[in-house]
Amino acid sequence: MKARRIFSLARRVIRQIMHDRRTVALVFLAPMLLITLGAILFRAEAVVIPLGVVNEDEGMTVPMAGKMVMGQIIVDELQSGEVFSIVTLSRDEIDARLRDGTVHGVVVFPADFTAGFYKNRQAAIDLRLEGSNPTRSLQIGARVTEAAMKALAGQMLSAQGQAAGGKTTELPVTLNASYLYAGESFDTMDYVAPAYIAFLSFFFVFLLTCVSFLRERSQGTMERLLATPASRLEIIVGYIAGLSLFAVIQVAVILLFTVWAIQIHYLGSLWLLFLIVALLAVVGVSLGILCSTFARNEFQVVQFIPLVIIPQALLGGLIWAVEEMPGYLQPFAYVMPLTYANRALRDVMLKGQGLAEIWPNLLILAAFALIIVGLGALTVRREVA
Amino acid sequence: MDTVVKAQALHKHFGPIHAVDGLDLAVQAGEIYGLLGPNGSGKTTLIRLLIGLLKPTSGGAEILGQTMPDKAILSQVGYMTQVSALYDDLSVKDNVAFFAEMCGLPPADSRARITEVLELVNLQDRAGSMVRTLSGGMKQRTSLACALVHRPRLLLLDEPTVGVDPQLRVTFWTYFRQLADSGVTLIVSSHVMDEAERCDRLGFIRSGKLLADGSAAALRAQAGAATLEEAFLHFAGEAG
Repeated sequence: MKARRIFSLARRVIRQIMHDRRTVALVFLAPMLLITLGAILFRAEAVVIPLGVVNEDEGMTVPMAGKMVMGQIIVDELQSGEVFSIVTLSRDEIDARLRDGTVHGVVVFPADFTAGFYKNRQAAIDLRLEGSNPTRSLQIGARVTEAAMKALAGQMLSAQGQAAGGKTTELPVTLNASYLYAGESFDTMDYVAPAYIAFLSFFFVFLLTCVSFLRERSQGTMERLLATPASRLEIIVGYIAGLSLFAVIQVAVILLFTVWAIQIHYLGSLWLLFLIVALLAVVGVSLGILCSTFARNEFQVVQFIPLVIIPQALLGGLIWAVEEMPGYLQPFAYVMPLTYANRALRDVMLKGQGLAEIWPNLLILAAFALIIVGLGALTVRREVA
Repeated sequence: MDTVVKAQALHKHFGPIHAVDGLDLAVQAGEIYGLLGPNGSGKTTLIRLLIGLLKPTSGGAEILGQTMPDKAILSQVGYMTQVSALYDDLSVKDNVAFFAEMCGLPPADSRARITEVLELVNLQDRAGSMVRTLSGGMKQRTSLACALVHRPRLLLLDEPTVGVDPQLRVTFWTYFRQLADSGVTLIVSSHVMDEAERCDRLGFIRSGKLLADGSAAALRAQAGAATLEEAFLHFAGEAG
């Protein structure tokens, strides 16, 4: 080993990188950007969950204690914490309000709730959950149980005191959960899987396109193509058509593997899932073409990953639900195609929705593809110029 | 004789660099016009301006009577770039067929024409070979086949013989002469003076300016020089 040779090599590498100002800037700025984004998201305060309450509890008169309405005691406890914002509902609005997202769960206290509590020494709480986000469902269930136990503790002690001399025996709260969408068998992976499928399809198609299109320009064939009667739009659409074949096959493989091998639950049509991811893949191809016109080599293509791909993973709903992010980050999420694909996929896989419900998301994805194709057509001759 | 290529007061600036600087040019049908100048003199930029790949800073160009850029007229133009510009992972035949389709060669005519053009560049035996397996000279011949396949009326060849061995260079110039005799107009850029002798007319280019143009004999006579190299230096010296 000759130190002089190693030194020369190291010096050459440093000089080369220093000449690529974009790379130098990216090496320092991109990690800071991504760490900041991660910190904001991880440290974001828990979002207040809108919880519906149907309180029909008529209460009952208890000897020594007077009129008791246990349902109201629990509602007061739920309201006093910082977890829920309580929305009072009637029984016939429950599913509509869960469907439109104004509440994520509804606690129902029937007319004989208090009477039942004193009769059975158990508070049987009916909880209707939206269900598409299993983590949120678990959180609501746990918090409602906790609040109910806290609220009822005093009552239980006094009731048991009357019956058994003050000895507590078992937890007095039973939660009867029912779901608008999905159900108890759905777990966190079922919630993450739709976004994961979308992210992986998008990522690999983007990279494949970026590198292929870059090669077209670096080999000089793009210049040659532009010297034929083919228009820039024809070249781009031809590229999209060719690469989309592989994208669509990839989508099919990912979907079928996820559903059958990993055994992810899904409720809606598999064909519709395929359509959403295939459309997202077309957006990925278009974005790959657009970005590749700003790269001079494969190294610069890789630089688009922290700039274009990772922010979409962080902000597009893969881990954090967009509506639960800090308000100032949400506009960024809404200019990312992955946000709409994730939304559509979750609506189909977890809610069993069909084309009639998810078409706005598909339309937005199509608009993304068209706009990006248009921008790509405008920038495609940069290399020649 | 028809003027096939015309450039008037053509300028192309890249920031402070004047790559083409007020250039006038007229090339007639069936002519082999040589653009002769050192590396960086503006030959490639001029060809790109003529074919419409670059937008001039000022001035304009006409090809086959059409003001450039004009996409439709490019079906009658063949362009061979300085690098071979081929798809390495496709066969020779697939490359030629692809450019035939892109230039609008009718499918009925395509098969016979591809065979014909591969015979012309003597690659019929390597038609199925992947381009990445070819030698540099074979790649250049494939590239020429791609530029010729759609029977263009005008051929713009940017340094077509760079990296080509002397024997193949002779072969290339024989093709070029055959094409010109059949009425095709050729603009061939080169920095090799002995190739220039084979052109009908020559344009000496330096710093984006056309120093002089005419036949090789006329340019030598005008400069009072024995060789084209001396003539070039004479005109370059005059231009300062």
